[in-house]
Amino acid sequence: MTDVLREVFDEDLDAIEIGAAILGTGGGGNPYIGKLRCREELKKGRKIPVIPLSELPDDALVVSLGGIGAPVVGVEKIEEGQECLRALHALEKELDVKVDALISAEIGGANSMEPMLTAAQAGLPVVDGDGMGRAFPEMQMCTWSIYGHREAPGAMADEKGNIVVIRETPNDVWLERIARSVVVAMGAAAGLATQPMKGDFVKRAAVPNTITQALNLGRAVLNAHATNADPVQTVINQERGKLLMTAKITDLQRHLKGGFAVGHINLDGFGKFNGETGRIDLQNEFLVFWHNGNVEVCTPDLIVVLDSDTGLPITTEMLRYGQRVAVLGLPAHPLMRSPEALTVVGPAAFGYTDITFNPMEDKL
Amino acid sequence: MKSIKTINRSDMTDIALGGAFLGTGGGGDPYIGRLMAEQAIDNYGPVQVRDVEALSDDALIIPVCMMGAPTVMLEKLPRGDEAINALRSLEAVLGRKADALFCIEAGGLNSTIPIAVAATAGLPIVDGDGMGRAFPELQMVSMTMFDIHACPMAMADEKGNALVLNTVDNLSTEKFARVITVEMGGAGLIALYPMTGAEAKKSILRGSLSLISNIGQIITYEQSANRNPADKLASELNGVRLFEGRITDVERRTEGGFARGQATIQGLEAYKGRSMKLNFQNEFLLAEDDKGKPLAMTPDLICLLDLETGQPITTETMGYGYRVIVFGLPCDPKWRSKHGLELVGPKYFGYEADYKPIEEIY
Repeated sequence: MTDVLREVFDEDLDAIEIGAAILGTGGGGNPYIGKLRCREELKKGRKIPVIPLSELPDDALVVSLGGIGAPVVGVEKIEEGQECLRALHALEKELDVKVDALISAEIGGANSMEPMLTAAQAGLPVVDGDGMGRAFPEMQMCTWSIYGHREAPGAMADEKGNIVVIRETPNDVWLERIARSVVVAMGAAAGLATQPMKGDFVKRAAVPNTITQALNLGRAVLNAHATNADPVQTVINQERGKLLMTAKITDLQRHLKGGFAVGHINLDGFGKFNGETGRIDLQNEFLVFWHNGNVEVCTPDLIVVLDSDTGLPITTEMLRYGQRVAVLGLPAHPLMRSPEALTVVGPAAFGYTDITFNPMEDKL
Repeated sequence: MKSIKTINRSDMTDIALGGAFLGTGGGGDPYIGRLMAEQAIDNYGPVQVRDVEALSDDALIIPVCMMGAPTVMLEKLPRGDEAINALRSLEAVLGRKADALFCIEAGGLNSTIPIAVAATAGLPIVDGDGMGRAFPELQMVSMTMFDIHACPMAMADEKGNALVLNTVDNLSTEKFARVITVEMGGAGLIALYPMTGAEAKKSILRGSLSLISNIGQIITYEQSANRNPADKLASELNGVRLFEGRITDVERRTEGGFARGQATIQGLEAYKGRSMKLNFQNEFLLAEDDKGKPLAMTPDLICLLDLETGQPITTETMGYGYRVIVFGLPCDPKWRSKHGLELVGPKYFGYEADYKPIEEIY
């Protein structure tokens, strides 16, 4: 473990990229482009200061921001780099306020990098924490919303210079619905900044220290590569996770539906799982894992698919027939397992009304 | 043509009728807007109509209107305060109150909605509009030809959603507003094209409220004299009777937030033995004879009237068996410029035909 994280440097970015991609549970988009953008900013002499959650002043104004859209599109339509900055400025103008710090809505995937990138561009610090401790496909699925923060107004910006400010909505689900239709018109990728939060709320609601978590996780994987240790086991040890299956992908169905990547993969076990079958459903992220026909791990616990040799995460848009993978389960943060959280991010929220969430530790 | 100075409750019937006529089949049925305007005038008093020249160059003029598919508007009625919410939203963004309201589209529902808002807000309304008829998309206004930006634009719906758009051009505004409208349930209220008095003086089409009021009066008068208003309208408005017949087929679909389709009409009386097709996208855009030769096309106006009563018929209400007169009118000369035809000519809507003014076809 490192000391308290105060600043993100160039040499940390590769590790954060790996850690964030693992925590993305297949979704949240690829952090690679965001990493390169961050690196460019650091080369220009800009900095990415980090505030530990515990040191955040109670009255600080914190804005949660990130990219919104379909991860498969993010691979082809590369962000221009200032989408989130423009969204932040539009929000500041709408509310006539100055923001004190930024925070990631989701540490998993590309949105680990976006607040760091915008922080460097805007000269603001980024808070060590996030609103999910993983990735989820919809905006109201973050702790801000779950624990009572209203997301409106929200500002969206695309790479062309279009800006849409959603000033009022009856609830956060409507904000999500409207933002989702706007993002499709924006070409399925855009930056989004939502209503600032007070520091004392962020301290209560944020999943803590997740930049540090992603950094340490990525460092452990890189270290395993360097020392020829088993990277899959390293991830399991680092995150107190469980190996669910080693398997080959025998079927892959994935399509774009309403701005989401939706589908499933079928798995045939190998190694000590020889003869066993698995299935994973996805909606941008991996949501449910069935082992021999029974639900073994489901949202909000994390289902992670790693390349079985390198231990590097495979995102839903990179899945291919025939890939040999290790499927891991990682426990979600307690903030994501509370009854109020489960109504928003539990299996029923994704249409699995017949599946009841049980913490993965209970079953395994 | 008499110009209208004040809109009282009693004027609303004629305005709605004239608005339906200039709607060229689209823009929604002005009836709901008429009821809203009558109610607002009852509650807040009549609406003053201003000639644009009477406004100072730095006056702030804001058009308000409804956006969406007319087929939806028939079933999803406004709650009532959405348009005011959109107006207030836009004023908040601009940091300034509107001095006058404006009707973006003289045809259809949007001929009457701004009057309801003007009465409620206690603001005058400018005698003019941005189309001289109805068109399906929001960049299709004369202001676009004068580089006036649709943004900032405010949108509101009956559920309490409110948005502000700032886009790179007016076509993008349309694209964004359209998907948001679909998400709002197919219809929303909007305030957009905030402009100064000086900008309005050079860009708007003038006298439109007076025109629709006069058209309404002609239709009412001719109906009361048991005459079909088509002849009088033709002589007063320089229009052409294109066809008479019975609707034998209507193919209609709501797609991408629009009511799109085609109607087939079999000729009656002098037109017996012939048929024609009417293509529409919210509005009637192209009339063709049975050999596919254009009879009239956008931006010229194609209006459908009931053969007996002369009552305007909208695309969403027309049905099999209706006996109709197809009526053509020349559009405002501004639309016949190169820029105008790029915005609203037949090619923009995906029709092959090269634009030919209706006077040259007949």
